[in-house]
Amino acid sequence: MDGLKKYLGLAALGLSMFGSALAYAQEKPASLGIGVFSFTSGATAAYGMPGRNAAELMIEQINAAGGIGGVPLKATYVDEGQGTEGVIADFRKLAGDAENQVMIAALSSGNCMALAPLVDQLKIPTVGWNCDTHQLFASEAHPYYFRPNGNTVPEFMAYALYMLSVKPDAKRIAIINPDYAFGHDAANIFKAALKAFKPDAEIVAELFPKLGAATFQTEISRLTAARPDVIFSNLWGGDLENFVRQAAPRGLFSMSQAVLALGESSLQNVQIPEGVIVGVLGDGWWNSPDAAANEETQKFAAAYKEKFGSYPVFPSMKMANSFLFIKKAYETALEKNGGKWPSRDEVAEAMKGSVVETFTGTTTVREDNDGVVDQIIGTTVKVEGFDFPVLGNMVRYSGEALMPPVGEDPIEWIGKLPADFPASLPQPGSYK
Amino acid sequence: MLQVLIPLTVDALANAAIIFFVAVGLTLVFSVLRVLNVAHGSFYSIGAYAAASLGLWVVSAGLPEWLTFPALVLSAAFVAAIFGPFVEHLLIRWTYGKSEALQILVTFGLFLILEDLQRIVFGVNSLYEDTPMRLLGSTMIGGIVYLNYQLLLIALAILTLVGLKLMISHTRMGKLIAAVVADREISQALGINTNRIFMLAFTLGVFLAALGGALATPTTGVSPGLGADTMVLAFAVAAIGGLGRIEGAAVAAIIVALARVLAIYYAPELDAVAPYLVMLVVLLVRPYGLFHTDTTRRI
Repeated sequence: MDGLKKYLGLAALGLSMFGSALAYAQEKPASLGIGVFSFTSGATAAYGMPGRNAAELMIEQINAAGGIGGVPLKATYVDEGQGTEGVIADFRKLAGDAENQVMIAALSSGNCMALAPLVDQLKIPTVGWNCDTHQLFASEAHPYYFRPNGNTVPEFMAYALYMLSVKPDAKRIAIINPDYAFGHDAANIFKAALKAFKPDAEIVAELFPKLGAATFQTEISRLTAARPDVIFSNLWGGDLENFVRQAAPRGLFSMSQAVLALGESSLQNVQIPEGVIVGVLGDGWWNSPDAAANEETQKFAAAYKEKFGSYPVFPSMKMANSFLFIKKAYETALEKNGGKWPSRDEVAEAMKGSVVETFTGTTTVREDNDGVVDQIIGTTVKVEGFDFPVLGNMVRYSGEALMPPVGEDPIEWIGKLPADFPASLPQPGSYK
Repeated sequence: MLQVLIPLTVDALANAAIIFFVAVGLTLVFSVLRVLNVAHGSFYSIGAYAAASLGLWVVSAGLPEWLTFPALVLSAAFVAAIFGPFVEHLLIRWTYGKSEALQILVTFGLFLILEDLQRIVFGVNSLYEDTPMRLLGSTMIGGIVYLNYQLLLIALAILTLVGLKLMISHTRMGKLIAAVVADREISQALGINTNRIFMLAFTLGVFLAALGGALATPTTGVSPGLGADTMVLAFAVAAIGGLGRIEGAAVAAIIVALARVLAIYYAPELDAVAPYLVMLVVLLVRPYGLFHTDTTRRI
C-alpha cells in the first residue's frame, strides 16, 4: 500500500511538472536569448568590435526601455576570429538552447555561407547583420535566414557609378581585394559595371592578398608600377588599416584616385587622406543628412561616443539596425498573436517581407529574404568639428535601382543595363 | 627592362630581410641543438608585440621619437633574455637526443602555450607603432616610392648575416659553437660546457626571431596569429637553404621572396603558394636543401 502511495505521489508530481512546462511555453520567457556573432579578436576586430559594441549598447537601451514585449534581451557573444569550424559549432550549440530565440550571424560572408544550411536545418530565425555576398541567396532559398543589410551587387555597383561620375576619364583601373568570396565578388561586380558603363576601361592590376596579410609592400609596388588612374579596394578591418598605413607614405593615394569601399569604418583609426572615395556598404552613416535629422539616431550616436570614446562606424550602424529589425519582427509577431509570446517560426514569418525604419533609412525585405537598402557614397573631406575626415560630396542611390530582380544572375543583369543608366541616377553632391 | 628589374629586386630584398631574421634563427638552433623548434614563430610575434608596446610607451611618455629605434632592438633582447634560457633549460633540454617526433610535439605544445600567453598579455586586438617608419621618410627608386625603413631592413639583414659569420669564425664563442656542431661528444670530452653552448645558441635564435618581429612592426600591425604564418614561411626558407646553413637561409630567403614578388607582379593567384612551390621543386632536386653537402661544416 505504501508502495502504491509513493508511486501515485511521484506520478502526480510528474504530471504537475509537465503541466507547468506547458504553461511556461505559452508565457513570456524570463529573457530573450540572442546569439551575436562578430570578429572580436585579430586584425579583423578593428571592424568587428564596433559591431559588437553596438550590440551591447542596443541591448542596454532596449532593456532600459522595458525590453521587447516586456522581455529583456540577453546576448551570448561569439568571436568569429576562432575560424569557421568554431563558429558553426557555437551556432549549433546556441541554437540548440531553447532560451535563444534568434541569431545575429554573421559578419563574414564566408561564415554566413557556411551557416546557411545550418540555419535551414535548425529553423532558427537568423539575421545576417553584415555578410554581403550576393551568393547567399543566389542558388538556394533559406527561409529562416534574413539579410536586412543588403548585398554586394548594389554595394559595389554604387562605387563604380560614383567613381565614373567623379572620374569620367579614368581608364586604367587597379583592384586590390581580400582573397575570399567577398573580395572576388566585389571585383567581379565592379568590373561588370565598368564593362557596362565604361567599356574602354582597362584592368591593369588585380591583386587578391590573403585576408589578414601583415604586409602589402610588394602589392603597393605592383600597384604603383601599374600607374592606375583608379585603385579600387574592399580591404577591411586591420587589413585596410595596414594597407593605408603602408600605402600613404609611399604616395599611392596622391598618384591615383583611391576607392576604399569600407573606408568609413577606419576613418577614426587611421589617417585616410582627403579625396578618397569611401562609403558605408548601405546607408549606415550615423551623420548622413537623413541620420542627422533623426533624433533617435543622434541619441544612439551620442551614447555610443560616450560609452566607447569614438563615433559609431557603419558596422555599428548595421548591427544597431539589425536589432531594430528584430524588435520590429517581435512586435509584429506579438501583435499578430494577440500578445502571446511568438515561436521561432512566428518570428521568422514576421520578418518575411517586412519594411523597417532603421536609424539610417529603410530596409525592405524581398521575397528571397534579401534586404533592399540605399547606398551612400562620398569622398573624404575634413570639416570643422571632427578631427578625422568625414564623407563629403555625397550621393544616396536608391537600393531598389541597383538591386537585380530575384533569381536573376547579377553579372548578366548589370550587362543588360542601358548605357544611359548612370545618367538616370542622382549625381555626387546631390545628397546634402 | 630596368624599370621592372629595379622594383623587383628592391621588393624581393625588402621581403627577404624579415624572413631572413626568422629563418636564420631557426636554422642556427637546429644546427647546434639538433631540435626543430616549431615554437620559433612565437618568438617572432612576441618580439613584435614587445616592440610595438615599448614603442607606444616611448611615444605616449613624450620621450624623443628617435628612441623608438633602439626600442626595437631592446625589445628583442628583452624577449631573448626572458625566454631563451628559461625555455631551453626547462623544456628543450629534455628533448636532446630524443626522437624528432617527440621534439616536434614538445615544441608544438610550447607554440600553443605561447600563442595563448600572447592573447592573455597583449590582448586580442591589433597594435600599431610606425614611428621609425615615419621618421625615416621615403626614396624614389625606379619610379616607385620606397620607404627608407625598408632599405634599412635590407642593410640590417646583411649586417646580421656578416656579423653571424664573423662571430662563428672569429670569436671564441663562435668557435665553441662550431666545435659542438661538428661533434658534440668530442667537444664534451675536450671540456666544452655543451649545455651552456646550447643555451646560448637557443637564446641567440630567440633573439633573431624576436628581432625579426620587432623590426617588422613599424610597417605592419601586430595581431594574434602572426607567429604561425611566419613560422611556416621560415620553415620553407630553412628547408630550401638546408637546415643548419646560415648562408643558405640568406639565399633561400631571397629566392622565396623573389618567388612571391614575381607571383604578385605576374601571377597574383599564385602569391600564397609561390614559396611552397619553390620549396617543392628544390627538395625534389636537392632533398637536403640547396647548401647541404656531406663534407662541409654544418654551420
